[in-house]
Amino acid sequence: MPAPIRLVVPGSLRYRAIAVRVVAEAARLVSCSKVANPNDPLAHDVRDPFDTAVVSAFMEIFNNVAIHAYKRRASGMIELTLTPTDTDLTIEIKDQGSPFDIEEVAPLPEELDEDSLPEGGMGIHIAKTMLDEVHYEPGPPNLWRLCKRLHVHTARPT
Amino acid sequence: MKSFDVTTTATETKVAIRGSLDINSAPALNEEVDKIIAVKPARVLVDLAGLELIDSSGVAALVKLYKGIRGGGGAITIANARDQPLAIFKLLRMDKVFNL
Repeated sequence: MPAPIRLVVPGSLRYRAIAVRVVAEAARLVSCSKVANPNDPLAHDVRDPFDTAVVSAFMEIFNNVAIHAYKRRASGMIELTLTPTDTDLTIEIKDQGSPFDIEEVAPLPEELDEDSLPEGGMGIHIAKTMLDEVHYEPGPPNLWRLCKRLHVHTARPT
Repeated sequence: MKSFDVTTTATETKVAIRGSLDINSAPALNEEVDKIIAVKPARVLVDLAGLELIDSSGVAALVKLYKGIRGGGGAITIANARDQPLAIFKLLRMDKVFNL
């Protein structure tokens, strides 16, 4: 496995696609998923269950930092450290913005029908459900630590 | 870059979404959703065959469209979700509501 991958970007949604791209490729180092079209390196090629979980969760946390910590003003940087191993991927996301109260996130309704379809508040739920660990330490710096493990049904072939 | 196309015929409004529907691209779709809902179409088809990635902002835009059309008495079909977007709809248990 390679050394940890580090990326520092402004805390702006303009840099989100770059960060997502890096995270997707780090996930692929663990899952060993195949690229659908090697001739199109800019395609959103997220099909493997492990890659799907990691990318889906990361997108929500990046959104959260840019919107809630930096309040869409890009007033600081986002530091990413991605540590892939043979069995898991850990992502640390640091920012210097306002702390986030993760306990205030309301759960999704137990029973879902047309009337109760939510139009917000889904991001943290997606991250928590997709990953094995979602840990948050308010700062500064605020720290999100995300971890996804390869499970039996998603383990790469030997 | 716009991540959707809207085509309207006498019987149906079709919204084809492609690429990534996310916090950066969803606001443009939300503006279009307001316009679509305002004319109260009888039938809307949302084609997700070209959709590769979605986040909660994108889901919210589709929920807004779904509720708006149904609330206006119209019919809406969301079809052809696959890969990451389908996984998100299943996680949020919206696959059953949307009949995906």
